[in-house]
Amino acid sequence: MSSSAAASSYWRVAGMSYLKYANLCADMVRGSLKEPTKTKAKLREAVYYRAATWKDGKPEKQVITDLTDTAAEQEVKK
Amino acid sequence: MALRRGSSLSGLAKRGLGQLHSELSSTVCAAQAEATAPLNGSFSLGGVRHASQLAVKQRMRSVQNIAKITSAMKMVAASKMRVAQTQTEKSRGMLTPFLTMLGDLPAVEVEHNLVVPVSTDKGLCGGINSTVSKYARGTLATFEGEGQQNELIVMGEKGRAQLARDRSSFIKETIADTQKVRITFSQVSAIAEELMKTEYDVVRIIFNKFQSAISFKPTIATVLSPDALEKEVEAGGKLDQYETEGPDRAEMLQDLAEFQLAVTLNNAMLENNCSEQASRMSAMESSTKNAKEMLEKLTLSYNRTRQAAITTELTEIISGAAALEG
Repeated sequence: MSSSAAASSYWRVAGMSYLKYANLCADMVRGSLKEPTKTKAKLREAVYYRAATWKDGKPEKQVITDLTDTAAEQEVKK
Repeated sequence: MALRRGSSLSGLAKRGLGQLHSELSSTVCAAQAEATAPLNGSFSLGGVRHASQLAVKQRMRSVQNIAKITSAMKMVAASKMRVAQTQTEKSRGMLTPFLTMLGDLPAVEVEHNLVVPVSTDKGLCGGINSTVSKYARGTLATFEGEGQQNELIVMGEKGRAQLARDRSSFIKETIADTQKVRITFSQVSAIAEELMKTEYDVVRIIFNKFQSAISFKPTIATVLSPDALEKEVEAGGKLDQYETEGPDRAEMLQDLAEFQLAVTLNNAMLENNCSEQASRMSAMESSTKNAKEMLEKLTLSYNRTRQAAITTELTEIISGAAALEG
């Protein structure tokens, strides 16, 4: 198990959180799938939310995080 | 009647529901308020046919349309709920191991709380958002009383609107539109990372736990930060009963704490989404019922006034004729 221990410390040293690491691994696995499962699985990579930071009881700036795969979304709608 | 409604339904479902939301929220409220009070001029005296009869007829038509829309929304919510329910039940499978391994520690002694109320973006879904806000206020008040620091990160537009009124000084961040595409674990992880930017000892996620289509339990899930989790484990947590391999314990606990936050948040968002659909379903069902009741009352009053006018006219004609004869 020493190899996995070493690997885990590498990504942490590179400044990644566990969640980033786990999701990156999941993306890799999804990427290695074959069609038609691939397109279906790609949909589960979608990230969309709108966040606004607040200061002194007032909203400041609003950031939209959109990592949706538009091509994959279109494919499903067809 | 059933057939007619069926065809209008499919048409309605095709229209954007979001648009319906904004149109409806005002009309439904108004319709419910007026269901008890008689319409202006609908009980006009003397049985004379006035323009008010026309107003009653227009009102009847609009009430009928509202009933159609609300029943369509009920159907849409019901089908969305079925999808959400399977997703929610699947997400519970990820959460349960954490609860058995680390336990739920709502009474943990910490200094800094991060309260995360999970609410919906859209309205017309009963009282589930008010419940979440109420519990968020209660949580803030409790830990404030114990001298702990509190911060709010509000999820969903409705919760933001409610809590910004009186707890705006606590709000650190608001997150919305999480359901615009769909709730995925990748998305929840990104949001969890957003939460982890804050310095906290414990995250308290407040959401409606889905129990059945008519029952949702307001729930507070407690997730410790990596440091707080390590303290808790050293103080005699259950984790030492397990034999583990891999990285050293501090690192493993950090991974676990991060993953637990994402898993709990994932479950909370899905549970709340499912409760939202179920709550909307029952809210729309009672709206439809109310609209139909109102329509019945209006029809009765319309027919009665019309009959009275006819009777008056007849009496006038007969008495006029009698006067001519005499």
